[in-house]
Amino acid sequence: MKVSFFETVRYQPPRPLPSEWPVPSGAYDPEAGERAYRAMIKRLEYVEELGFDWISVSEHHYSPRILTPSPIVSAAFIAARLRRITIALLGPIVPHSNPVRVAEELAMLDTLAQGRLVVGLLRGTANEALTYDLNPQEARERTDEGMELILRAWTEPRPFGWQGRHFRYRTISIWPRPLQQPHPPTYALGTSRESCEFAARHRLGCGVSYGPFEVMARATRYYREQCARHGWEPTPEQIVYRANMVVADTDEDARARLGAQPTEAPFSMRAGVRDAISTLDARNIAGEARAAVVTGALPTTFVGSPDTVVEQVRRCREVVGAGVLDLSLHPPGSPDLDALMRALELFGTKVLPRIRDI
Amino acid sequence: MSRPGEGLVAANGRQLRYAEMGQGPPLVHLQPGSPCLTPAHALLGQRFRVVVLETPDGAEAVATALTTLGIETFDLIGSAAAGEVALRLAAQSPGRVRALVLETPPASLGDEFEGMPWTSVVTPALVLIGTRDEVTTTHRALVARIPGCHLVVVYDAGPAIGADRPEAFAEVVADFLDRHEAFVISRAPTLIHP
Repeated sequence: MKVSFFETVRYQPPRPLPSEWPVPSGAYDPEAGERAYRAMIKRLEYVEELGFDWISVSEHHYSPRILTPSPIVSAAFIAARLRRITIALLGPIVPHSNPVRVAEELAMLDTLAQGRLVVGLLRGTANEALTYDLNPQEARERTDEGMELILRAWTEPRPFGWQGRHFRYRTISIWPRPLQQPHPPTYALGTSRESCEFAARHRLGCGVSYGPFEVMARATRYYREQCARHGWEPTPEQIVYRANMVVADTDEDARARLGAQPTEAPFSMRAGVRDAISTLDARNIAGEARAAVVTGALPTTFVGSPDTVVEQVRRCREVVGAGVLDLSLHPPGSPDLDALMRALELFGTKVLPRIRDI
Repeated sequence: MSRPGEGLVAANGRQLRYAEMGQGPPLVHLQPGSPCLTPAHALLGQRFRVVVLETPDGAEAVATALTTLGIETFDLIGSAAAGEVALRLAAQSPGRVRALVLETPPASLGDEFEGMPWTSVVTPALVLIGTRDEVTTTHRALVARIPGCHLVVVYDAGPAIGADRPEAFAEVVADFLDRHEAFVISRAPTLIHP
């Protein structure tokens, strides 16, 4: 099992913040932001020292919960400061990006990072449609097309035009191309039938997140079936499972900590907007409809002492088939850095060495 | 003429079938099989006199048939296997073919293709391939060898690009035929409110 640390940047607000998304930009404290990014690098040096395989970053906007609106900027900065660890950029939100620009920046990043780049391409959470005014009803199609264009821009040796449904370019010929040829290890992230089929068709990895093992297994099973249909079999490392983990010295401690965590998602959209967007944004797990917007806190699927968690990881490997765990060891958005560092140390010393062979 | 828009034209001892629609500068489309008009032709027919011609073996027969039809200079599309005749015609009659579009060029135009003076293709040329076409690789050789040749990848189309994405096909073809290599300059408006 490979292990990835999901870095969300821990912004510690000097004053209480409004709870709605988008969080007013005026509530941001530049000094606190500078401290958060500086602390991120210290933390990631420790993550590397503990022996994690990857550090992952993601794209989220307009709130301090995950303070990486441009994950490519974070990834480049992290890659420059750390020497060995792989940077997993999971991912750029494809439907509201310029796919050619994404292809260029990722190629540049892969080269600057000396090939230490892993890429996940995705559609983004429902609220992200509001950043950059993306029509939620077009998001799926734009994602598929954008991903295909990124792959083509990485690999097509001649200058070409793109006559798409949602994107049109007459001249594409990127420089640099990725260091890793034909391109960095790439995942289509998401549980949807469309995402799994895309990954299978293009021989990409598949990434699922947060849901219970059995539910995520429906998506990874569908993905593997589709890969077989296209005549290939993914390796375990081509299935990533992003999850929340609460690990403590004892099971009781871990459960108590989980119980003390907020049950509501921080920085939610207003109910009227959330309900309206839900009617326009269709989501599914291997073809079975699911809610577009998660209203509560995201589930935590690993809870317990190191012994318990090791067994849960074993079960995850069996059920989900994941060969990479992308872990959040403390709720994103929580400014309690001490709790995060304790969890990191416990996981890094008591769990990580024991799940290598799973 | 069996009915308006269709007919037979004599060329080098053969009768070639053709179908046509639209008005404007002549746009000749060579495709394998019987000539038939499609939604893509209807779109192109708004700007061009589209003539879909049964493809004989040789470029000379096409040239003769078009002369008989009163067509002297024309734009030319060659689809799939008919791309070979289209390319030969463009190479042999640069004064007649204003611009050339190859839709899903056949493997016969790849590296092993002999007897074609590639660099003598002086007409502006555009090669189209679809993203769902996992077989065609000829486009790279063509684009490398025909001076100034453009390549456009049509998303979510198989080898029959015009059938799969008629609007996308007609737009890029018409834009290229209108502006030749200047078609790389965008004219798509982005102004929301003045």
